[in-house]
Amino acid sequence: MKVHVDPERCQGHTLCSMIAPALFTLSDEDGHSTAIDGEVPADQESKADEAIRSCPEQAISVIP
Amino acid sequence: MTTQPVADDDAERKKNRYHFDRHTPDYREKFTDVTAQMLDKCPIAWSDTYGGHWVAAGHSEVFELARSAGHLSNDHDPQHERRGYKGISIPSPDVAFRGGFLEMDPPEQRHYRQLLNPYLSPAAVARWTPLVDEIVRASLNEKIETGRIDFVDDLANIVPAVLTLGMLGIPLKNWDIYVEPIHASVYTSPNSPDIARIQTSRLAMRDDMAAQLAEIRANPRPGLIDALARAEINGSVPPDFELLGIIALLMGGGFDTTTALTARSLEWLSEHPARREQLSAQRGALLDSATEEFLRYFTPAPGDGRTISADCVLAGQEFKEGERVWLSWAMSNRDPAVFPNPNEVDLARTGNRHHSFGLGIHRCIGSNVARMVFKRMVTAVLDRMPDYVCDPAGAEHYQTIGIIQGMKHLPATFTPGPRIGDGLDETIARMQVLVDEEELAAPVTARKGPAVAG
Repeated sequence: MKVHVDPERCQGHTLCSMIAPALFTLSDEDGHSTAIDGEVPADQESKADEAIRSCPEQAISVIP
Repeated sequence: MTTQPVADDDAERKKNRYHFDRHTPDYREKFTDVTAQMLDKCPIAWSDTYGGHWVAAGHSEVFELARSAGHLSNDHDPQHERRGYKGISIPSPDVAFRGGFLEMDPPEQRHYRQLLNPYLSPAAVARWTPLVDEIVRASLNEKIETGRIDFVDDLANIVPAVLTLGMLGIPLKNWDIYVEPIHASVYTSPNSPDIARIQTSRLAMRDDMAAQLAEIRANPRPGLIDALARAEINGSVPPDFELLGIIALLMGGGFDTTTALTARSLEWLSEHPARREQLSAQRGALLDSATEEFLRYFTPAPGDGRTISADCVLAGQEFKEGERVWLSWAMSNRDPAVFPNPNEVDLARTGNRHHSFGLGIHRCIGSNVARMVFKRMVTAVLDRMPDYVCDPAGAEHYQTIGIIQGMKHLPATFTPGPRIGDGLDETIARMQVLVDEEELAAPVTARKGPAVAG
């Protein structure tokens, strides 16, 4: 699986990187999130799922 | 006439009704019941209070409304230069000026956010952690040998205030000019005999604020005020009253909210000593989720008002231009559709997409500050006063929770311990040197890396 952060929805709540720091990078300037390129490692999939469920703006989605 | 009479149309649109008055002590006492009723029966309801307004309580309803900036306005226009909208407070206070960018719409609001974000981003805030630890340590030092502390007066009022002033670029030692008027004006009723004294302290605060703006403009030093003093918004320099409104917003957001969260959480942890021990022992695994859970459960800032800016249907409800809406972060945070056992504190809760920092383009700009300061204060208390017990007879909650769900006082006793290092005044003086030498208050775009304290 891959994850994607919709930049139009993200408002910089930072919960995704708090939960899964290996999968999400925050902008230094405004804390808005970007997902890593490529496949989510198998041992990170549950964290990816928790990040998706925790995003207040529902900005994170799975790319099959 | 072929159109329906307005009254009939309104009766249909407003068929879900609830008498909602969040400014009464009754609402604080019955919060859980009122919330459950509204979530169950009318997640969006019309209330006749305060001239009539909508109340959104349901999680999905609040989510949709808060993210519809095209139809909901934050604008506050007391001079009737635009459409006369009344900003984020219901009822709207009798003031001449709006309250910073939280009472503006894009694009103006966005210009201010973009200007200030580099001072308040996670990377910018991380640089302040060593300073916060020093102020926390010194605040606890002042009480550690006595076995008695008031967590509001002696800790949770001080640290957010000192940090906020540092980030603004105001001398840290001025914190006590600001802390009392900001804290007390939230919980003091206009009818209180204390109001004259608080007005006096508010004037002293406004004077210092204006003096700081003038001083920083004349002799620039880094910080949020410096950014505002240099600001050009839509190609023009904003008037001072606008900038002072923004400074007041940053202080109001930075001070009493984190104080409230910390006090309520420390009180809860005192009432649940086994959970406190668990949090302390497993803080690596639990501190983040516990912080989000305390944010959800206590929702320090319980909601925001908006004005409908165009006729629309949102979350299944028909709204008319000009109508007022209260978005209840506090009630939506108890929605069982999203939060199983919503009225229980679960320190390990997952999927906790609470609304305590708001949603959409007006997300609390200081959310990263709040989380960091809260965590540093709570963990220091757990380390140095692990057996503290709050005194229920002395604990004083705000009478109403319409503006901030906070506490006036939270006294506690604990087994006395040793001081570590210097006291508060000496520490604040040392930290001022650190702020100045390291230019800590500069935006993250100018400089990176944490401060080296001590």
